[in-house]
Amino acid sequence: MRILIVDDHAGFRAMARRMLEGEGHCVVGEAGDGAGAVVEAGRLAPDVVLLDLNLPDTSGLAVARELRAAAAPPAVVITSTHDEVELDELARQSGASGFVPKTRLTGATLAATCDRG
Amino acid sequence: MAAAPTTEPDPAPLDARLSPGMQAVLDAALDCVVAMDADGRVVALNPAAERTFGYPAAAAVGRDMAELIVPPALRERHREGLRRHLAGGPRVVLDRRIEITGLRADGTEFPVELTVTRVKGDGEPLFVGYLRDISDRIAAEAELRHSRLRILETAYAARRRIERDLHDGAQQRLVMLTYQLRAARQKAGGEAAELLDEALGELDTAIGELRELARGMYPAVLSEAGLAPALRSLANRAPLPVAVGAPAGRRYAPSLEATAYFVAAEALTNAVRHAQATEAAIEVTDAPGCLRVTVRDDGAGGASLEGGSGLRGLRDRVVALGGTLSVTSPPGEGTTICAELPCAS
Repeated sequence: MRILIVDDHAGFRAMARRMLEGEGHCVVGEAGDGAGAVVEAGRLAPDVVLLDLNLPDTSGLAVARELRAAAAPPAVVITSTHDEVELDELARQSGASGFVPKTRLTGATLAATCDRG
Repeated sequence: MAAAPTTEPDPAPLDARLSPGMQAVLDAALDCVVAMDADGRVVALNPAAERTFGYPAAAAVGRDMAELIVPPALRERHREGLRRHLAGGPRVVLDRRIEITGLRADGTEFPVELTVTRVKGDGEPLFVGYLRDISDRIAAEAELRHSRLRILETAYAARRRIERDLHDGAQQRLVMLTYQLRAARQKAGGEAAELLDEALGELDTAIGELRELARGMYPAVLSEAGLAPALRSLANRAPLPVAVGAPAGRRYAPSLEATAYFVAAEALTNAVRHAQATEAAIEVTDAPGCLRVTVRDDGAGGASLEGGSGLRGLRDRVVALGGTLSVTSPPGEGTTICAELPCAS
């Protein structure tokens, strides 16, 4: 899977990149906010955007809606250190494939969530 | 020679009926005293009334009192009240303390406390109004209300900041630590692998506890998605079955959402901790101008606003928003907590 990681914490992006690449996925890019996510998704055409719920400029849910409105939209998976099950419903309402808490995030859970959507 | 009371209205000023001693009392009073006859004309006013309303007694006596000191919007009501009373109607304003708006000579309006009494006697009816400018008190009450609201909003802002800081700081670092330990675990074998598994378990517990703490500060679902999803999330995590009825999709002011949420959260905590309830229900109804949150449980009852600091604290928050909180909790018959919160609709 070609993955774009969107999170305002560079440390998390680096760690997630290492983990996902360790599982054989290709991290094609990173963005630190919602505006950057939209630009990079348009430029890199990833299969999946791993999108943090809390971004400095906007909500991850709003970014998901924008990304999914594109002509050939990527799959979007929302993530967060929060873990409420309600977030999965909210993520899906915004057009994302679902929600994966950061503590449960692996290449496998990411792929499984994309397949579900 | 004075005219007979039954023919011409007595045009004499009030002081003609007063002893010099009583006149001195009225002159010295800090409250306004204004006397009016049955036609609504000013008969007398004391120096405090001259100062407050801005008319010298000489210019006011004999004029229609409503034109002088009653704001235009209230004049017809005033005249109608006087007519009704003189026709034998009930005493609506007389002999009571009311708060109303007064009008100064310069056209400004201000809040007054007013008492009107009818002077006993056989002659023409004479009404005396005692008025006090309560602008300062009304302003102080408004400032108190605003200050309570600011304190509440500051408290919620602080809670959100703590939640945000925990989320961006410690929680984020612990999640990254999880990834690092998992990577190490994949490379490790034997005793080291066991130790790393234990560490990962501990870490998972720590993250869970920290998440509970952050959620108690200010639930992320509430700020992200609003009251209805946050209440459903609260109900899902409660250790007893909780039915939730709440209008989906509507957002309210943050302090209103937070107060409604914390009323429900505190009520559920009490239901479990103190009332040993086996089930509960949260209902949110959205009437025009009013958001009502009702939480019922089937527990032991006996809760009161005086009983615990939890409910008192809730009432303080509700009152700061201009709302009311009621607790109905007869022993053995469960508890119903209802908050009514004013909201722009």
